[in-house]
Amino acid sequence: MSSIFLPGARHLAGAALSALLLLGVSSMALRAQETPVQGGTLVYLEQQAHTNLYPPAGGFYPNSGILNQITDKLTWQNPETLENEPWLAESWEINADATEYTFKLRPGVTFSDGTPLDAAAVAKNFDTFGLGNKELGYPVSEVITNYDHSEVIDPLTVKFVFKAPAPGFLQGTSVIGSGLVSPKTLDLPFNELGDATKIIGSGPFVVESETLGQSLNLKAREDYAWGPKSFEHQGRAYLDAIQYIVTPEDSVRIGALLAGQADFIRQIQAYDEPQVEAQGYLIHSAPTRGVNNNAVFRPDNPLVADIRVRQALTAATNTDEIVKTLFSSHYPKATSVIASTALGYVDLSAKLAYDPEKAKTLLDEAGWAVGADGIREKDGVKLELSVYESLPQPQSRATFQLVSQQWAQVGVKLNVLAGDAGSATTDQLDPLKTPVRSAMVGRADPDVIKSNFYPTNRDALLQKGGLNPNAQFVDEDLNKLLLAIASEPDSAKRLELTGEAQVYLLDKAYVIPFFEEPQVFAGAPYVHGIGFDAVARPSFYNTWLSPR
Amino acid sequence: MTRNLLNRIGQAAIVLLLAFTASFLLLQALPGDALLIKYQNPEMGLSPEQIAEIRVLYGADAPIWAQYGNTLWNFLQGSFGYSVQAGVPVNTLLATNLPPTLRLASLGLVFAILLAGLIAFAATLAPFAWLRNLLVSLPALLVSVPVFWLGIMLIQIFSFRFRLVPIINPSEFQSLILPVATLAVPITAPLAQILIRSLDEVQTQPFVAVARAKGASKLWVLWRHVLRNALLPVLTIAGVLFGELLAGAVVTETVFGINGIGRVTEQAVSNQDTAVLQAIVILAALGFVVINLLVDLAAPFIDPRLKRSIGATA
Repeated sequence: MSSIFLPGARHLAGAALSALLLLGVSSMALRAQETPVQGGTLVYLEQQAHTNLYPPAGGFYPNSGILNQITDKLTWQNPETLENEPWLAESWEINADATEYTFKLRPGVTFSDGTPLDAAAVAKNFDTFGLGNKELGYPVSEVITNYDHSEVIDPLTVKFVFKAPAPGFLQGTSVIGSGLVSPKTLDLPFNELGDATKIIGSGPFVVESETLGQSLNLKAREDYAWGPKSFEHQGRAYLDAIQYIVTPEDSVRIGALLAGQADFIRQIQAYDEPQVEAQGYLIHSAPTRGVNNNAVFRPDNPLVADIRVRQALTAATNTDEIVKTLFSSHYPKATSVIASTALGYVDLSAKLAYDPEKAKTLLDEAGWAVGADGIREKDGVKLELSVYESLPQPQSRATFQLVSQQWAQVGVKLNVLAGDAGSATTDQLDPLKTPVRSAMVGRADPDVIKSNFYPTNRDALLQKGGLNPNAQFVDEDLNKLLLAIASEPDSAKRLELTGEAQVYLLDKAYVIPFFEEPQVFAGAPYVHGIGFDAVARPSFYNTWLSPR
Repeated sequence: MTRNLLNRIGQAAIVLLLAFTASFLLLQALPGDALLIKYQNPEMGLSPEQIAEIRVLYGADAPIWAQYGNTLWNFLQGSFGYSVQAGVPVNTLLATNLPPTLRLASLGLVFAILLAGLIAFAATLAPFAWLRNLLVSLPALLVSVPVFWLGIMLIQIFSFRFRLVPIINPSEFQSLILPVATLAVPITAPLAQILIRSLDEVQTQPFVAVARAKGASKLWVLWRHVLRNALLPVLTIAGVLFGELLAGAVVTETVFGINGIGRVTEQAVSNQDTAVLQAIVILAALGFVVINLLVDLAAPFIDPRLKRSIGATA
């Protein structure tokens, strides 16, 4: 039951809650010692329909909830140690500068269409993930950088060669985006991979049928015998089947769970947690171990170009209040750019202290004087900023509305916008329209910081050479640091650089971290053995149902 | 008659082309597009060059007039393109989602007609003024109930509280009960309102008094003489009700988590999935055209006086 996340212990206020949780966990641990029962169907309620199931597009939660059951990966990242352990790869060798990776594959593994999962199949997968396929329309995977080519050495040995050091690749083989699929699947046009029945993997479950946009049925694969090496359980899954049903309405998902019509549901808002727990049902919360839920500034906007303004807004943000007012003990307050459960985390809470007086002084120094309406102005320009709510993030709108109230106390206005997806996407590329943006990335590797901030990746700051063609702003020191993280072969040095990057980002006040974003699920008391991977994606391989 | 029909079909084709063109232009005028929304999403982590390549692949870099021509040509051949968001051909999406919506909508309509008829008859025949007032104001109440709220209330009460019908994994029959009830309510209201008013109007006509004087009972007159004359206005709003049904389906399907065109529309709108939206616009326009044509063709059978006037214009 390591999947239960206990952040409450960090706060005195959360101590009582965490004691309660501990009670819950220990009683669950007792029950987990019972022998798993084989059989039964897990009814799983999803909030949204899945989209394209090409594995590198699997970051979307509904997609990963399915891909995690039907595909296996070369390595298994242990969520407790964050070490990569053997799975479909029995062993591997990495050269000194991390430009060559050689994997020895586990023999006897097949895809569910009967095709052997051999070196050629693995090579084809990573060639597609690393290089894309222009003809069929496959984009490149976010987690694979500097990929050059693959070499099939013998039927069970495959080597990947990179143009430049790629220390993140080993962890990259363990993520949802690197789930292996049959070569036949990769011969289909990208545009047809939204049909789950066409995704042929080697996982413990296979897609039996689907009603597009409504429901999906998985059944256990009888001849499955290759669970991650560190698992005691190697054979077929305990469940006979899993039924995914898309139920967009929050109240219907929760109601159906409590009325016994469903066994496990995804996405519970913090304000709904008490009614679930009150009836003896369990909240399963898993950390995403990446860049925290945060607000980033776009320094190209003259209003936030001055570091003192950004520092002032950081000091004016009361994250304790956000967490206490809107969230529960499953949402720990952020103490750095990345989560405390992430690799390379350093505690920087001192840089994030709430200090409205300091905020006011900084704004005064920067020349922003309080105007007649309480909003600060300089040369006739008001200090008025805008941010779009971020739909995938929990209570994003409420979070920013609260931040808006907090900033108003130091004389800064923040407008929280909720537009259609098209306007939001175009406006977010323009720093003048959106000086502030919500960001968050889940990935348990130091590369995650680069993913979020580097101009050719997610480009959260909108730097020159990135998504905004008119960008002027560029921070060479930051980019050098980010590149170094992504190419430093020595893992100790890499973690050190990750720490430096966190300090740098907060010293420049580019980011205001809010909280460590979890994924929250709820399950019936008779559902056991729910597993989560390192970034909170559920795995039902070890799941079993005790008699109700 | 045949000439009239051909005429109408020609008009329908023009309406469809105009609907296609207008929706194409409007969708182009919106900021952003489906490709941008999907691939600019930080979740995908793509670089600007990669996004540009994808745009080329989808032909989204071509000039507008070329895209218009291509899309129109494909539509004429029955190919609606791909849904960027769902990652499947639009044809597949329609094939899975159209039948459930048609079933839900037609059952909802039948149920609404029955309910509206019941309310109108009861109101007309009500022996007491207070009962009549109550029944006459019922449609106004029904029309003000938000479908969204009604759906959730029905689920909470009948499925979760009394556990009469499951929402998850219901049988074919069970799966229809609550959604049909939810969808029927907003359709019942305008139907009942118009039926009550037109029954009232027809009842003041002299031939009703004649029939009554000849000794026919109130019910007999209502059924045999008044109803047929009162039906025409009701039939005419069928086209409007079709729109109501579509709008109701969006909410009903989302609340109940059932497949259908309504939910597909909602998703396509929020993701600006142009190919899907265009197909739905054409489908909806086709629906309106066909229904209005059917209404016009059916009217002469209800009111034989209309036969002559159609003959005269044809």
